[in-house]
Formats: sequence, structure tokens, C-alpha cells
Amino acid sequence: MVKPGQIDVIKQGKRPPEEFSPDKLHNSIIATCLSVRTPEGQAQDIAKTVTLGVMNWCETHPEITSADIRRQAQRIMKTLHPDAAYLYKNYKTII
Amino acid sequence: MTPVTISSLATIIFAAIIHASFQLSVSVLTLLSGHSIGKKTAQRKIFRMSNSFVLGVAMTTLLLISSISYFLSLFIHHVTSAEQLVAAISSGMMFGLGIAIWTFYFRRQPGTSLWLPRNFAEYLNKRTKKTKNSIESFALGIISVIAEIIFIIAPIIAASLAIITLPNPFLQIISIAIYVIVSTLPLFVVIVLIGSGRSISNLQRWREDHKRFLQFASGGSLLILAAFLFVDRVIGVISYGGNLW
Repeated sequence: MVKPGQIDVIKQGKRPPEEFSPDKLHNSIIATCLSVRTPEGQAQDIAKTVTLGVMNWCETHPEITSADIRRQAQRIMKTLHPDAAYLYKNYKTII
Repeated sequence: MTPVTISSLATIIFAAIIHASFQLSVSVLTLLSGHSIGKKTAQRKIFRMSNSFVLGVAMTTLLLISSISYFLSLFIHHVTSAEQLVAAISSGMMFGLGIAIWTFYFRRQPGTSLWLPRNFAEYLNKRTKKTKNSIESFALGIISVIAEIIFIIAPIIAASLAIITLPNPFLQIISIAIYVIVSTLPLFVVIVLIGSGRSISNLQRWREDHKRFLQFASGGSLLILAAFLFVDRVIGVISYGGNLW
């Protein structure tokens, strides 16, 4: 996977910024796709497309927030798998 | 069956339905299933974990309703007019909680975020994600009941008040069992739906689409139960001859 330049993810509250991790995003997309019972191969393809899309978007933004990543990932995923995109968007608002 | 028995049974079933309409346990179970499926957990293990979660919820509900019934029976049998007093207090409590549910049970934002403080909701989120076996699921079930105790206490007190006025211990035990089963019914529905292959996102979408109705129904039902309890147990007790036993 292409490694992006130094992109800091600003965290909520007093937590220090951390470096953007494409692998973390990739894994979370796969987990979301599998949660909606997507076949594993398709989940891998979606995760790859979404991660690359988010990385492209990040190139013009040296500082981003977790919410930005989630929003961009959801926007790209929506065209590939609307169900997974819905769950990804609403993950933090289930409880 | 005497009118008191009939009204007690009706109160118990109605209170259990109100309890069942509360959403925290359903939210946590939905999330737990989602995480487990996402981690490629075997279907059988997901089923086992979900059942343990429901067992935790049922056990805590059972303990709560049994202990409150026990303490209420001690109190009511030793203090004159205590039943009217407890009924009046719980009516007032249910009235207040009914309004509170209408006002802030679901947050005004997309999704099904509940009234819980965000830190605690995040903790539950993380805890659910880390849950990997049946024992942890069982504990999660217990936590989800305790976290929502501020709302479920009202229907539990109403049901307890009705349970202790039932004529014999056998009927009381059956009523407690009915209460626990009815109040956990939505969790069984979630297990069946997920077990039959329904997508988590469909479940969540249904919950989000109907959250305002659920909120209105829960709050409204609590107000109705408050009014019924007040009429039946505070004013109506006089028509039973001033004593329910």
C-alpha cells in the first residue's frame, strides 16, 4: 500500500495528534463490510478503493480529523456499498 | 379472579411492555452482533454470545424486580397506608420519566444516540468491541441494564407493586417470569433476525426510522401507566375497602 507523507490526525479533547494510518482505515472498512455480510473478497476490494480514495483526498490536507476521514470514507463507500456506508457513518450513533 | 388480581396482571404486562420499549440493551446487542460478524466470528459463537448477553439482561432484571418486590412487601406490610404512598410516589415518578422520555430519550441528531452521557456511551462502544466470549457478553448484559436503571426503575416499581398484591406466591413467581420474558422479548427478536441472516444495517435503519415513534410510545405508555396506577392504587384502593389483601 502507498505510504502517505506525514499527515496528522487531530484527535478530540486533549489527546495528541497521531499519524494517519491507512492500514487502520483499511481494516475498519473490511470489518464494516463483513458486518453487513459482504463476501470477503468484495470487502477487500471496497476497502482498497476507499483507502486509496481517502489517501488521495488527504494529499491536499496536511491536518485532518477522525471525523474528516470517516466522512470521506463514507462518501466513497456509498457508491460501492450503500449498506456498509450507512453502518460506517452511524457506527458511533448506535448507542 | 378478583378485580385486584386482574388489574395487577394487566399492570405487570403493561409495565413489561414499557420496559421492553427501552433501547439501550437492543443498541448494545446490535453493536455486539455487528462487531462479532465483522471479526468473522463463527455464527454459533455469535449465537452463544448473544444468548449470554440476553441471559445477563434477564438475570439483572429478575434480581431487580425480585428485590424491589421483596422490599416493597416488607415496607407495605409494616406501615399503614404504605401502598397508597408507594403508588402515589411511583405514579409521580412515572409521570416525570414519561415527560423525560418524550424530551430527551433519543438525542436530536441522526442515528439512534440515546440520552447517555457521551463518555459512557463511548465506553460501552469500546467495551462491546472488546467483548470476545460469553462471560464478557453476560457482563455486558448486566451493565446495559444497570446503565438504563434510571428509566427502567419506574415500570419495575409499578410491576413490583402489582406483584405483591397477587393472592398467592405461585402467581407472584409466574408474574415475575412473565415480566422478565416480555421485557427481554425485543432482544430475542434481534437474535432471531441476525441469526436468520438479516443485515445489521437494515436493523439499525429500522430503528432509526422508527425512533420517534418508539420514544412517543414509551413516554406515552409511562404516562398512561402512571394515571392507571394513581386511579387504581391510590384512589381506587378505597373502593376495594381500603385494603388490597
